[in-house]
Amino acid sequence: METAQQNLEPATDIPHDNRYYLNMGPQHPSTHGVLRVLLEMDGEYVIDPQPVLGYGHRMQEKMAEHKNWMAFMPNTGRMDYAAALPYNHGYVALFERICGIEVPARAEYIRVITSELNRIVSHHLWIGAMLLDMGAFTPILYTFDDREQVLDILEDVTGSRLTYCYFRVGGVCKDIDDNFVEKTRAFIKRQRERFDVYNKLVTGNIIFIKRTEGVGVISLDMARRYGVTGPVLRGSGIAYDVRKNEPYSVYPKFDFDIPTGQNGDSYDRYLVRLEEIEQSLRIIEQALDQLPDGPFLAKVPKKLKMPTGDSSFAVEAARGELTYYLVSGGGDIPYRLKIRVPSYSNLSVLPELCQGMLLSDLVAAMGSMDLVIPEIDR
Amino acid sequence: MHPATEKLVTALSEQSIVLNECDYAERGYHFEIDLDAGRLREFAQCMLEQEMYLVFVGGLHVDPAIEIIYQFASYDRLCRLVLRVVVDSNNAIPTISDIFQGADWHERETRDFYGVIFIDHPNLVPLILAEEDVDLKPLLKNSDNIKESAAVRWVTVEEQPETDEKADTD
Repeated sequence: METAQQNLEPATDIPHDNRYYLNMGPQHPSTHGVLRVLLEMDGEYVIDPQPVLGYGHRMQEKMAEHKNWMAFMPNTGRMDYAAALPYNHGYVALFERICGIEVPARAEYIRVITSELNRIVSHHLWIGAMLLDMGAFTPILYTFDDREQVLDILEDVTGSRLTYCYFRVGGVCKDIDDNFVEKTRAFIKRQRERFDVYNKLVTGNIIFIKRTEGVGVISLDMARRYGVTGPVLRGSGIAYDVRKNEPYSVYPKFDFDIPTGQNGDSYDRYLVRLEEIEQSLRIIEQALDQLPDGPFLAKVPKKLKMPTGDSSFAVEAARGELTYYLVSGGGDIPYRLKIRVPSYSNLSVLPELCQGMLLSDLVAAMGSMDLVIPEIDR
Repeated sequence: MHPATEKLVTALSEQSIVLNECDYAERGYHFEIDLDAGRLREFAQCMLEQEMYLVFVGGLHVDPAIEIIYQFASYDRLCRLVLRVVVDSNNAIPTISDIFQGADWHERETRDFYGVIFIDHPNLVPLILAEEDVDLKPLLKNSDNIKESAAVRWVTVEEQPETDEKADTD
């Protein structure tokens, strides 16, 4: 350990005895899936961290080019497994727009309610996993307890617990009932009481603060050069949220805030996500109050033909901006479907962000990005 | 139009870059631009100066040559634009990864999937594919299903080819 305080200037031309390579992953618990980070180390310090991708790549974009576009629907739930509904949402909304399909109001409300519930479970998972990465075992037990409540609600209506395929072009496949509304309201009440537990256990925890404050600071300039979005961007004080900036569905009808941080460090990203849970609760509350009656699925022709040309649709997924970019040559099979996933651009800052850090700080900075690797290896 | 967007349009037209305004309600973005590969870097520099961020870089295999698609958007106003650049006869195109560092991975991925060479990219090694699959180029079309560039361009609703619209509802 006495060699830890070394000259940290990267790329010195003096041969260095203490340089070595360390493989973090592809099975390391804190890489959350099969990601490998090849670390060039100098003692305890990271000189050059390079993520190595592709261990679980499924070539979703190729699959999309080979079947009727409706048959791709289940694939959309298998990229970001922690928050699949926004992926459903972006995909159906793209086709609704180009094919000019009106979605019944009730369906849009159900979409917003379930998407926001999904965002909350994603943040639950993240808070637990982030703290676990940093050696705190207890918080994940609490957040998973809360997460289970929502997963049960979502399971009732979608039929699955994780890789949802619930939205359809023109609406959703199953209506929500009084039981759903009741259980969701009960969850909102419960979750608000639980924030106190989170704050006592995590937010004010001196070890957590010391491990995350000032660690992994992302500037506006850096964010723009890499295309960082989502809570990672908002932690740096930039109030960019697709739900507000590029409104879709019925989001403009609800009163909610976009929480932002001030310092752009890992701690601010935690605060942003914690506050986003409350903001999602506010959206759900208002949506339940205003929930209109009526059909939950529009009459849609069974054979929908796409118009020729390209079109794009962006939604705010739990990790940031998700964009589907479709190129169609007519017919019912996409000619090209580019899926822009938020974690991909967010992770790409890692080499610049974590250069010169202590290894333990890299774990905190990387954890604060809320990576879902199957989304990157889509 | 937002003042910053107006500034962007002015800056681009000063460089005599032609922007086609699109109907956002139909296509989800505001401007489309076709550009020569030689002017790509100058365009990217302009995007950085106009405070746009890089959404993605992707490929599109059409006849006669692969097109590279770039999408840019803004953090503070509603402005999204799509840029198309055709690769040269050697399947090569300049890199923008020194201007938008986020393009680094997108370009490596596009090289993996299409075999496009990004000139002066600092580290053009496989990102997604395994080293032994370096020549797989999985997203290339074959001669049966490749379409002409013009056949996948947007046409207005009136120009759409006639389809037999049966009242086939459920």
